[in-house]
Amino acid sequence: MSPDKDINEEKLSEQLQRLLISIEASGRAVLPKSNDLLLKSIVDAAARIFGAAAASILLVNEEQEALEFKVSTGEADHDLVGTMFPYDQGIAGYVFMTGQPIATSNVKEDKRFNQDFAKSTGYVPNSLLATPLISSDDRIIGVMEVLDKIDAQSFDIHDMDLMGLFAQQASMAIEQSQQIDSIEQALIRGLKRLAKEDKTQDSPDLKAALDHALIGENRASDLLELADLFNDISALGEAERKACLQVLNAFAEYRKSTYAPRRFSK
Amino acid sequence: MTDEELRPAWSENFTPDAIQEMLAQGPFAKITPEWAWGNSTGKGIRVAVVDSGVEYDHPALGDCVRGGVVVEYDSKARDNYRIKADDKPMDVSGHGTACAGIIHSIAPEAEIYSVRVLGRNMGGRAIQFAAGLDWAIENNMQVVNLSLSTSLEEFFGLFHDLTDQAYFKNMSLISAVNNIPEPSYPSLFSSVISVAAHEGHDPFTYYYNPNPPVEFGAPGIDVEVAWNKKQYLVCTGNSFAAPHITGITALIRAKHPELTPFQVKTVLLACASNTKRQSK
Repeated sequence: MSPDKDINEEKLSEQLQRLLISIEASGRAVLPKSNDLLLKSIVDAAARIFGAAAASILLVNEEQEALEFKVSTGEADHDLVGTMFPYDQGIAGYVFMTGQPIATSNVKEDKRFNQDFAKSTGYVPNSLLATPLISSDDRIIGVMEVLDKIDAQSFDIHDMDLMGLFAQQASMAIEQSQQIDSIEQALIRGLKRLAKEDKTQDSPDLKAALDHALIGENRASDLLELADLFNDISALGEAERKACLQVLNAFAEYRKSTYAPRRFSK
Repeated sequence: MTDEELRPAWSENFTPDAIQEMLAQGPFAKITPEWAWGNSTGKGIRVAVVDSGVEYDHPALGDCVRGGVVVEYDSKARDNYRIKADDKPMDVSGHGTACAGIIHSIAPEAEIYSVRVLGRNMGGRAIQFAAGLDWAIENNMQVVNLSLSTSLEEFFGLFHDLTDQAYFKNMSLISAVNNIPEPSYPSLFSSVISVAAHEGHDPFTYYYNPNPPVEFGAPGIDVEVAWNKKQYLVCTGNSFAAPHITGITALIRAKHPELTPFQVKTVLLACASNTKRQSK
């Protein structure tokens, strides 16, 4: 996209500033830009920490209702990257469906199981530990696997405990990096609105570029809507911004303090 | 991450160094495993396995599976779920079959019912799970194995209500604690029997932990289990510890049908491998 001179520069900088302030306010850390690099560094670290011959990450692909094989290290087959596995298939599927980690060993003993494993890991491991990647709002965003414990028969319960903690950190990083992608979308949206608002000078090139950038974003997240709404209210003035924050805080506090039992209707 | 944060989750209470000796005195000292479950087969006890389903014709299960249901998420239905009968249950993963196999190996004449609550819709995960537990309560199950949990705070109230209903209906709920160190329901409630894994392999060796929230430790590490598609697998997880206590609970309840859930828990404590009997 080439910047259009006709755009009101003052408005643009205002819009950017507001977005940056809201990013800052939400406490999001700025992470390495490339999601793939981040995932690679996570699996490399996992393999090292847990003494595994290989490690891999599968992430949720909601459109396909499947787990997408994103990255692997070690012996696992790199050709698998991009392969989709249905939510309810195999060990990764179980971990995804329940949110519970699982460790297995003696994997080679069962022929049929071998095939399932070979399909989902790229090679047949002797032992495996799979753990869910859980977002801050308890959504399961993927599954991380470490394969073949190097110095032992299998991964033990302490590996499982540690991997749970490691996965928490990894999930946070992945989630934040995904949110940054969302923020980029928000930025594009803000620019698009700006382009529309600027009635004095039409800028079809910019509009087209922005439309193109938004293809694929068919599912506007609630969070983005909220951020947009907050930005709109903030634009009304300082008092409005504070009032909005107070209302949201009060609601959050209220929800935290009430655990009124919900009952099934009989 | 600091060292403090790296502290392992719940199974640390059941390492050889951490196990504390418990005392059973007076009348409690008379409660022995022989009295509690000697010669019991769990005959006639209805045990629900709320999980990924149970493969009814797996050779490891004899013909202990008597029926079951599938709980599906349905955003248009009342309370967002729908229940279908499942007379010849299958297992979408293998995990429920693993749990049922452990229960059957301990309580061979207990009747197992498959309550499948896992499906492709992740948004409905917790509501399906709660509805499965609700079905078990409404259909007079006596023992329920819950090797699942949710950490969604908004379900705290619903699960609290359901576990209390079960408790007042004289049901024993056995709940695996989360393998991930964060609060999860219903395993943290006192009305359930919560279980984590220890490293032993004898199915009747289990420990009581006096430091809540996890109460019991049972075998859950490198356990050979049944898996779907007639397979067997060696698995590790708190999920496989809970069914050991479920099986023992079925034995106790078959032999002593008069016991209430809190008495069952007392019997379990009295017969734990780290409980020393002192007659005085």
